[in-house]
Amino acid sequence: MNRAIKAIDTISTWIGIPFSWLNIPLMLIMTYDPTMRYFFNAPTDWAFDAALYLYGTTFMMVGAYTLAQNNHVRADMFYRKFPIRFQAWLDLCLWFLFFFPGIIALMWSGYYFAEMSYRFNEHSVSSPEGPIIWPLKMVIPVAGFFIALQGVAEVLRCIVAIKTSQWPERFEDVQEAP
Amino acid sequence: MISEPILGIIMMFIMIFAIFIGFPVAFTLMALGVLFGLPSMGGHVFDLMVQRAFAVMNNDVLVSLPLFMLMGYVMERAGIMDRMFHSYRLLFGPLPGAIALATMFVGTIFGIASGIVGAGVTLMGVLALPPMLRAGYSVELAAGTITSTGTLGILIPPSVMLIVYAATAGVSIVKVYAGAFGPGFLMSGLFLLYIFVICLIKPSMGPPLPKEERNVPWSRILWEVAVSSIPIGILTFVVLYVIIVGWTTATEAAAIGSFLAFLIAAGYRKLNWTMIAESVRLTGRTTAMVCWLFVGASLFAAVFARLGAQAKLEEWVLGMGLGSSGFLWVSQLIIFLLGWPLEWTEIIVIFIPIFLPLLKTFHIDPILFGVMTAVNLQTSFLSPPVAMAAFYLKGIAPSYITLNQIFNGMYPFLAIQILTLFLTWYWPEMTLWLPRYLYGE
Repeated sequence: MNRAIKAIDTISTWIGIPFSWLNIPLMLIMTYDPTMRYFFNAPTDWAFDAALYLYGTTFMMVGAYTLAQNNHVRADMFYRKFPIRFQAWLDLCLWFLFFFPGIIALMWSGYYFAEMSYRFNEHSVSSPEGPIIWPLKMVIPVAGFFIALQGVAEVLRCIVAIKTSQWPERFEDVQEAP
Repeated sequence: MISEPILGIIMMFIMIFAIFIGFPVAFTLMALGVLFGLPSMGGHVFDLMVQRAFAVMNNDVLVSLPLFMLMGYVMERAGIMDRMFHSYRLLFGPLPGAIALATMFVGTIFGIASGIVGAGVTLMGVLALPPMLRAGYSVELAAGTITSTGTLGILIPPSVMLIVYAATAGVSIVKVYAGAFGPGFLMSGLFLLYIFVICLIKPSMGPPLPKEERNVPWSRILWEVAVSSIPIGILTFVVLYVIIVGWTTATEAAAIGSFLAFLIAAGYRKLNWTMIAESVRLTGRTTAMVCWLFVGASLFAAVFARLGAQAKLEEWVLGMGLGSSGFLWVSQLIIFLLGWPLEWTEIIVIFIPIFLPLLKTFHIDPILFGVMTAVNLQTSFLSPPVAMAAFYLKGIAPSYITLNQIFNGMYPFLAIQILTLFLTWYWPEMTLWLPRYLYGE
């Protein structure tokens, strides 16, 4: 069980970290475009689309990594005070009640949404360049899948915690100063 | 059979209950949206869900969020504020309450440069608490100064919270920033004034810097001040100026700002691989946290409205016969109370949309409302007994400092914040003149 948890954590982390790095090209593109516009009078026609693509893809794909680090915001002032086994039972029920219905729906409907866009060869209307949209839409089911997978790891965590009265460890990673 | 609006209200109560059990909120909202949307809308709820998610991915306000965060994390992790703090401590040396004044000043600058909420208290606490305690400052004054300056980042542009508000309310981010200038700097100014006056009256609370520590020639002090503040000054000026003048969009200004943050860190020889990797990963995860919350909340809000619950709620509120001021203070009181248990993200993304449609009915400017919410949440984070800022400081303070001392120190600053909150509402020009001057009506 612990090995399965570790394996899924690794997948989420190894997908999440490279996608986090896309923030650097996002920064460079959004610096490059106004620089060209003001100093060389040569604005690009792709920067805006590229920025939205990068931002949208990044935050969706980092979602599972965020979950693996337990960084999705939760109001835990009561939760913290519960005994561990009670926390685990509570979570176990809630993952099935409040997590899987939403995320599975997102995955399926996201897939049909993207497929339709692919079949109609849909292009963006918000910029002159008008790039194709289906790859960005395809991010929704893919990100949904990896979050759901991480959700499975979280369910396994609950089972381990119920058995051993101890939460399995997470990977150590930098955390925001409180 | 229960009517649809009632179903929506039930959904809201389940949501509030679910939040307080402590399950990650983003997914709770998504699941509730699907489960409650299904009976009334059938399969359309799935279409709605994907469209909402895709709208968040295409949101041209939220795209600036990772960039402002990156700027903040790089500034925070590069340890640039240390040098600035030490130079200002010397500069303010002869004045009463010198170290507290320097703390407040540097905290304000950090608020401009970062805009990340929690980081400020810890950063300023680590930096400023030991020197203040060594110099014999009263624990209360030190704690009050640090907690209030550390939370200023919520309000002072380019605050990350204001971006999220602008995205939620669908108002122009630059107008919200321009609006936050007045109250933000007024509050910081009042804090400085308070520290100065109280230390003038009671020198024992915060003496000037001891003579032997001030044994540095003025030319050296001024040089240090220049070296430590000019780069950050340029960064804050560029970021704010390009936004305000409209040379670039907020997103581009954020990108330029984070680029400059990298340059500044490199200039001080503080740039290294670990620090960059940490900043990037934190940026990625915090953005994912906020934006996934947006995905869940916008589905929830859409289903809530579709069920007619929003209209029902508005009907109730209107039935209460409140005036414009009455509605404002009731809503701000609710936001204040929510600020105790919840993080600002949850409040802005989930609860603010409930009030937003009513602003028009009560003739309240959404920019004014947003700025007030920022002032209010800062106040809430400083209000005992829950005050998150106090716990952040307690976490890094020496163990002999009690939570009660921190709370006691926060009260005078709290009073100034409440004063600012009232001034913002009863003197709306303070907030609105700059956006009007810059962008017209």
